[in-house]
Order: sequence, then structure tokens, then C-alpha cells
Amino acid sequence: MNTRIKSLLVPAVLVVVVLLLPRLITSSYWLNLINLAISFSVACLGLNIVLGYAGQLSLAQAAFWGVGAYTSAILTTQLGLPVWTGMFAAFFVAALCGVLLGIPTLKLSGHYLAMATIGFGIILQLILVNEIWLTNGSDGITKIPSPWIGSFELKDPATFFYVAAVSLILLTWGAIRLKNSRVGRAFMAIRENEMAAGATGVDTTYYKIIAFALSAGYAGVGGWLFAHGGSHYISPDTFSFEQSVILLVMTVLGGNGSAIGSIVGGTLLTLLPEVLRFLKDSYMMVYAAGIVLIMIFMPRGIAGLVGNLPASLRFRTWWNADSTAARQVAAASSQENSGGSRKTYRPEDCAGAGEVLLTVKGLAKHFGGLKAVDGVDMQVRRGEIQALIGPNGSGKTTILNMLSGLYIPTAGEISLGGAAIAGKKPHAITSLGMARTFQNIRLFGELTVLENVLIGRHCHSRAGLFASILRLPSQKAEEAGIRAKALEMLEFVGLKGKEFAQANSLPYGQQRLLELARALASDPQLLLLDEPAAGLNAAETDALVGLLFQICTRGVTILLVEHDMNLVMNVSDHITVLNFGRKIAEGSAEEIEKNQEVIDAYLGTEVGNA
Amino acid sequence: MLKVEGIETWYGAIQALKGISLDVKQGEIVALLGANGAGKSTTIMTVTGMIKPAKGRIEFLGQDITGMEAEDIAEIGIACVPEGRRIFPGLTVIDNLMLGATPRKRVSKEEIQKDLDRVFVIFPQLEEFKGRLGWQLSGGQLQMLAIGRGLMANSKILLLDEPSLGLAPVVVQEVFRVIKEINKAGTTILLVEQNARMALLIANRGFVLETGRVMLADTATNLLANEEMKAHYLGAHAHVKEARQRRRSERGRV
Amino acid sequence: MDLSTNLQMLAAGLAMGSIYALVALGFVLIFNAVNVVNFAQGEFAMVPAFVAVWLMSYLHLSFAVTCVITVVFMGIFGIVFERIAYYPLRHRSFLPVIISTIGVGIFLKNGAQIIFGAEPLSMPRPTPVTALNIFGVFVDPQYIVIILCTLALLGFQYFFFEKTMLGKKMLATAQDKQMARLLGIRVATMIAITFVYSSILGAAAGILVGPIFFVTKDMGAMIGVKAFCSSIVGGFGSVPGAILGGVILGVIEVFAAYYISSAYRDAFAFIILILVLLLRPQGIFGEKIAEKA
Repeated sequence: MNTRIKSLLVPAVLVVVVLLLPRLITSSYWLNLINLAISFSVACLGLNIVLGYAGQLSLAQAAFWGVGAYTSAILTTQLGLPVWTGMFAAFFVAALCGVLLGIPTLKLSGHYLAMATIGFGIILQLILVNEIWLTNGSDGITKIPSPWIGSFELKDPATFFYVAAVSLILLTWGAIRLKNSRVGRAFMAIRENEMAAGATGVDTTYYKIIAFALSAGYAGVGGWLFAHGGSHYISPDTFSFEQSVILLVMTVLGGNGSAIGSIVGGTLLTLLPEVLRFLKDSYMMVYAAGIVLIMIFMPRGIAGLVGNLPASLRFRTWWNADSTAARQVAAASSQENSGGSRKTYRPEDCAGAGEVLLTVKGLAKHFGGLKAVDGVDMQVRRGEIQALIGPNGSGKTTILNMLSGLYIPTAGEISLGGAAIAGKKPHAITSLGMARTFQNIRLFGELTVLENVLIGRHCHSRAGLFASILRLPSQKAEEAGIRAKALEMLEFVGLKGKEFAQANSLPYGQQRLLELARALASDPQLLLLDEPAAGLNAAETDALVGLLFQICTRGVTILLVEHDMNLVMNVSDHITVLNFGRKIAEGSAEEIEKNQEVIDAYLGTEVGNA
Repeated sequence: MLKVEGIETWYGAIQALKGISLDVKQGEIVALLGANGAGKSTTIMTVTGMIKPAKGRIEFLGQDITGMEAEDIAEIGIACVPEGRRIFPGLTVIDNLMLGATPRKRVSKEEIQKDLDRVFVIFPQLEEFKGRLGWQLSGGQLQMLAIGRGLMANSKILLLDEPSLGLAPVVVQEVFRVIKEINKAGTTILLVEQNARMALLIANRGFVLETGRVMLADTATNLLANEEMKAHYLGAHAHVKEARQRRRSERGRV
Repeated sequence: MDLSTNLQMLAAGLAMGSIYALVALGFVLIFNAVNVVNFAQGEFAMVPAFVAVWLMSYLHLSFAVTCVITVVFMGIFGIVFERIAYYPLRHRSFLPVIISTIGVGIFLKNGAQIIFGAEPLSMPRPTPVTALNIFGVFVDPQYIVIILCTLALLGFQYFFFEKTMLGKKMLATAQDKQMARLLGIRVATMIAITFVYSSILGAAAGILVGPIFFVTKDMGAMIGVKAFCSSIVGGFGSVPGAILGGVILGVIEVFAAYYISSAYRDAFAFIILILVLLLRPQGIFGEKIAEKA
């Protein structure tokens, strides 16, 4: 089955469903319910973007839904603007509120974020209730107009359904397109490991705000659907914290991270109360008990349950088989190993001891009274492999963190290739040419091996929201380029063939290699490695050594922090020794081995280095 | 005293221990050695009951303790000083020490006070700092406190997991001196260490682990002289050394 | 702007703040012990309020007997809650746990409505209605009772955690569960005790605040959320922080409602929360937790 037919299949099915449904279901009551379900689903799609894709828990979604509803209701009833204008206004005003929420909560995560969003939602609801001059307060807004197409008023549920269905389809299409793009990957990187995302080149601040804005905008459109369909009446009570919880449960029930799941969850939990109406008062209790049970037994929701069935895995493989991405990966996998085998390298490419690439002057970091780093000067030359050693607590990792932007130095200067970088954000430093790996591996665990490395190319690619959703030709070409580079990196570290494995499923040694591939994908001038040999056995350490020399051959300078003295002594051109936050020695391996101060402070007389 | 037979332990889908057997006799210091990730800490966690083995048997003083809960194992006389010290940061030195005596049931206050005094004799610094909170102590002081807390259990065997980790060499030497002293006073010790040389200098026997299996088992003296040990744990990797020399000579040409 | 009105409001603020402090304390203890944010903590105050009303208004029991029975009931409630809401999810990530505790909160709220009806109930007062005249300021005696009871509870708690071995074991469990187990501390029991104590704190809050407001199914929600704000303001995870945060929030709320806007009374807690999160996210007593690279 070729791609052309596959790409026409889904739209065809959707057109048929949308046209047929109002013919098959003629009851006004049920059509209204379906329109309501669509309105909720749109809000859930939004929540899915900020929570499912980007991992930020927002319990204010109903408030944004309400902002959309009220914006459009006010504009259409008080200012007489056309309903379609109201839709755009609903999206943008809600999105703006999303930005207002996103900015103060940037540094928060988990419970703190949840609590802040609850507060935001409650404040918004209070505004809706109290600013009577604007919103009519608790009385609500009545007689909200229906949309018009030409001279045709879309008044009854059946005709409004077309509007709702088309909106839902377009917004879902956008969300799915978003997920498989550079922007979507940036979101997921933030979700998986925010610190690593920043270090890999993703501007976490920007993308978190975008996620909030987009998700709020979606909710705004959902609110617009709610206001202009159904009973054409809105009041502040609807847009409460409880409603935000319901939206959250819908999204999680459907499957956090799945756009289709959001629709399933939204529809199910809108129609379910109707089915359970006979329970009357105890309905909410059954609902609540159901929530707890779902969390215990089905934490990944319906999408998770369905997604793990062998049938759906087969379906997905068949569906994706001919895509450009799959073809590109297959082509790369079938090529013979280019670029030579592991052990050979051309030392003349590894220029060694060239001009100074990284300069550190007077670098210091104080944590309250603790002087973790107390005035360190260092230089790393282009093409060399330098090691930073010292006892635990000597400040090695703190220096790495300052170099890579995770900590802001208390004092001192850092310059990379002439550019001052002290105090810059991690993603900015990455795009200037410094990449790093972490002591405790920080992969994007739930993403595939390939996706991890694709994110490594983030700072050298540019596709934004529109390009990603619309799949402009420039974006497609860029994606192909990103993929080619990623595949090249995977082959280089030796992970060819594992592109679609989940990063978490790799054995420890291969996870380290993957982190290395991701760092290399950003084409760094300087590579910082934080204890790259930790946890590796003898064979893996040897392989790592070969790889380090190969990396050096490609023109990348390496600065590594290591405890494995054998590795350090054999690999380094230059060693800097720290103790208590200060540099106590530097020089070649031979010089350091014999340095008395280093022996006393670190090497000791019992731990021999043969 | 302690016998471990054929232990297999899994972390989720990864098999950390693939059949470990070792034994510790009364009054000994036994060293458990190996590289990072070889399974040393997993073995300790299995013996203390924090992880349940999938297969195998653990016997302590003739009693089968396989699968027992950690709290119960603490009560029958196995005390542990885990990796990373794990001092309760919000409690004082005295509180930490007193909590070490938790497993001892039906013992008088005087007994416990005597043991506390004993700990202060071994670690005079601790008595000086007895009101300080856990987070205020330095690395070396934390290690002393952790060992002292372990001693308060007055256990029959003391498991020490990487006591030298992160400590400056001169402090490490002090720690090992203390371990030797405790052993002389009658406590049997199972010592897990990455610092193979220092461990073997005070141990009677040693077991060397690699990727979840016991590779070598011998007396400490024999292990120190063992060629394989020298190559892997006491000195440089030969092939890595070659690579370095090649690189240096080629660099010289450029 | 006269002094006596301000002092009256101060008393009210301190009283409300004490309630927030008690509930916030319950939050923080559970969080420290098991790293779970209990979104149903407000209901820990709502449920005993209903129980107390029922015992006093329908069974006509005395206030003292009611207190005893309610406290025992909440103790059992705490154990049941731990088994149902916390235990099955103890290894899961925070999202399922948040949703689950929210679910339990909704369950309890609607359960209360089914059992007791939708009408607000009024709790008989243990204190006389006439205001006490303290140094020329007229203060509702219930406020005094709230403040005194809270101080007594806090005193007991301080003694328990600082001076008894059981208290130390609970602190140890909260600080490092694994290590506690290695020392032979029965961690499961410690956790159960934490939930029980947290529920008893809720009982105190519910019984103390019941006479001032009507007892409704929604009374827990706002108190719970504001108590959470209190604990963040005070420094999340810090026991003295929770108490101080609660008192500060209670006082600011009363004054802001009077001087700025009473319609937005409920918003002030969140405005303060957002300000704190912006300016000093670790709160008053919190430690700056830098994530280790």
C-alpha cells in the first residue's frame, strides 16, 4: 500500500463520518451532548499539549476555557462583532492568559506548579464573578449568538456540529503534526528531563511559555464552542477548579501524551454522566472512586492500554512503513560501515595543543558560606583532551556546571572561542559550541534513541510553530538534514540499528553512548564529559577510550572530569588538579603523577598508578 | 557466620547478581571488591533484606534469612553502614547514634549508655560535636558518625559499603585504622570497597566481583600478589596504556 | 482605622491563621514522610466537622465526648486513607497520586452531601456567643479557644518530636526511609502514625473552626488550598514554616479583605503565593534546593 493512498485514507474517513453523523443521530439532545463533548475535547487537546507533551501540570485549564467563552461572548453580545472574530479573539486572549500564567511559574514544577495554576484559575474565576461591568457577574451572559456562514445561521445542534467537528479535526491535526516536529520534540525533551533539555540546546523558558500559550489558546477555542453552541448561555460557575480537575481526568484517562486519547477521554467522560444518570446523587462519588481506581490500575490511560496491544503495534509499523523518515533510516541502516573501523584514526587530524579555545579566569562559586570553587584559572587548547581531577568536593562538577551554564558564577570570566559565556543560559552556550554529558545519565528516557539525538540538533535548526504544523518544504528539508546528521552520530558511537528502541531500554553502557551521540549532534567545539567511565566495565572503558580519540580526530576538543585515574593518565594531554575549590597543579600526566601535593591530596601513596 | 549461596538478584529487567556465593567467618574482615556496577552494593542490599533475591540462599548463624524483611534482619544482628553514609541530616549526632541502637530490644539504658561512651572513645570528635545536626558535618565526620551509629547496634556483623568514597586519602587512612580497631575488639566485618589496595591491606580474605559474578576468591595476601588483580584493579589497563603511548609518539611527529 | 477594630481583625486573623496552620501542618507531615501532596487535606477538616455536628446536634452528646469520639474516628480515618489512597500508589510518579488524592477529596465531599444533605449545618458552640472584652477589644471567645488549642497542640508536637524516641524515629523515617529500615525502624508503622496524626490535626481544625462558619461540604476545599499556600509561603517541607505561613496568611487575608476588597478575599492567598513563588520560591524557612547535575 503506498503513501498516497494512506495519506488520503484518513481525510476520506473523516469527511464521511462528519457528513453522516447528524443524519444518523437526529436527537437534538444527543447532538448537543456531542457538541459539548467536542468542546471539552478541544480543551483536553490543549491540556495534552502542556501536560502530555511538555510535562507541565496545569490545573487552570477550565479557567482558560472560560476566558475564551467570555471573550467571545462579550465581543459578540456587547460589541456586536461577528462570531468568527470572536473565535480568534477567544484563542488569542486565552493564549495571552496562558503566557501570563507561564511567566511567573517558569521555575516551578510538580506540586508547586500545580498549586500555582490552581491559584491562577481561582483568581480568574473570581474576576469573572466580580467584575460585573464586564462579565455580568453571577448572572452570566445570555443570548449568545450563533455563527453565520454567509446568510446561513448555524443555529441548531446539527448544523453547529459541522463547525465543532471541523474545528476539532483541524486542531487535532495541528496537535499531531506538532508532536512529530522540532517544536514537539523540544516539548518532550522538557518533559523528560528539563535540565538535559537546556544543556542540549532547547530554550526551556521559551518553549514552556509557548506550551502554556498554545494550550490556553486551545482551551479558548473550546470555550468559544461552548458559548456559541448549546444553550447560548455562560456563567462563572462552570469554569471552576472542579471543572479543571474534570478536564485533567479526561486527558489522563484518554492517555497523557496522546491527542486522540484526549478526544476519547473527553467524549467518554461527557457521555458517561448521561449513561449513569440513574445514579443521581451518588454519581459524583462513583466518578471519584472511578478516578482513584483508574490511577491505580490504568495510569497510562486508554491510549496506553490500547497502544500496548500487539495489534496496534503492528498497525503502527504498517502505517509508518513508507514515511520519509522510515525510508531514510532504512537507507542509512543498510549502508556498509563508512568512515573506517573503531581502532584506526588519523592523528594528524587531531591537531593537539592548538590555540586556546576555552579560557577561565578567577572563576568562583559560593553557596552561602561554602566556597565550592574559590578562584580558578584554566585554559583548554583546541584539539586536546584535558582532564579535570580532584577529590570529591573539590569543585570539579561545579566548574563543569558553570561552564555549561547550569550555575551562574559568583565571580570570574569564561570565554569560549573569544565569546564571553559566564552566566549565559545553558541552551545559549550549547549553540555557541559547547556540549556536555552528565554524571548521572540524563537521557530523554521515554523517547526513542533517534529522537534523543534529533533533539541534539535543535540549536542548529530553526523550524518554529507554523513551519512545524504546516510542514513547509523548508521544514521538511530541514528535518531530513537533522535526521541524516543524527543517523551519522548514532553510527559513529556504534548504536546503528537501535534507532527506534526506547532510550530507557538500553543497557547502561549504550545509554552512555547515546548521551555522547546526542552531545556530538550539536557540532560542539568543546565537549564536556562528566565521569564518562562511571559504571563501565573494563571492555566498555577501552571502547570509550577509542571513541574519545576518534572524537578528537573529528576536531572536537574534550574536557573531562574523571575519577578513573588509569583512564585519565592514558588519555589526557593535559591535566588540571583541583582541591578544595582551588587549582593545585596542572601539567602532563607524567608531571602530575610525580607531583607531591597531588599525591598527598588525592592520589595517596597506597593507590598506585602503574 | 554469614553464608551467601548462589544469589541472583534483578533490578527490573536487568540482572545485577548472577549467582553470588561468599562467606564470612566470625572475627574476620572480608573484603568485597570490584569495579563500579559489578554488584557489590547490590549484594549488600540483598543481605540486609532491602532487596529480595530471585534465587539463592542467605544463612546467618545457622538461620535461613533469605527473603526476610530488612527491619527483622537488623534485629537479628546484622548492621549496615550504607554507601554514602546516609546520616539523618535534620537530627543531631546524639540522635543519630541513639537511633543506631533501635534494633536492640530488651536492653537497659545503662547498656546503651556504655556503648555510647565506647563510641565516643573511638571517635572523640563525635563527643565534641554531639549537638550538631547531621547536615552540618563534613565528609570525614559523617563517615565516623555512620560507623559509630553502626556500632551502636552492637551487632554480630557489620557491613560497610564503600567507607572511603569521596574522602581525602588522609581521612581514608584514619577510617581504615578505625575499622581494624573495631575488628580487633570483636566485630566481624564485611567490607565493600572500590579502593582494593587499602581494603586488602586490612582484610583477611577477599572476593572480587565482576558483572554480577564472583571472579576471584582468596586470602588477602594472595590477592594482593595476584597478576589479574594487579592488571585490573591495582594498576593500569595494558591496552589503554599502549594507546596512549602510540598517541604520544604520533603527536610528537605532528 | 481605629485600633480596636484592627485588634479585633488581628484576633480573627490569628484564629483563621491557626486553622490554616493546623491543616498546613498535616500537609507537611505527610509530604515529609511519604513525598505525597495530599490534595484531600482540606477534607481532613471537613469530615470531622460533619461528624462533630452530627454527634452534638443529633445524638445530643456533650462537647467533650464529641471531641473524643471525633478524634478516634479521624484516627481510624487516617489509617483507612493511607491504605486506600496512598499505599497502592506509593511507587508511582506524582501525577497519579495528585489525581488520586483529588479523587478521594471529591468522593468525601459528595459522600458528605449524600449523608448530611446539601444544606449548611451549624455546629453548636462550646464557647458563649458574647464577645469577651480584653483590654477594651471585643473578641469572639472562639478565636481565643482556637489560638490556645493550636498552641497546645504545637507544644505537644514539639515535645513529641524533640524529646521522645518515637518522635525521632518518625523524623528519621521522613528524612531517609531506606536508612530507617536498615536500622530496624518499622517504616510502615511510622507512615501509618503520620497519617493518623495528620488526620487528628484535621479533626482539631474542623472542630475548632466549625462553630465560626457553617459546616458545608465545600468548607474543606478552600481551607485546604489556602493551607497549601501557607506551607509554600513558610517553606515547603518546613514544620515551623507551615505554622508561620498559616498565621501570616490568615492575618493578611483578614486585613486585605477589609482594606482592599472583600469580594476578592479568597484571591489574596493566591496572590501572596504567586508573589512568594516569584520572589523567594523557597519560602521563609525553606532551603534552596539546587538539583544535582
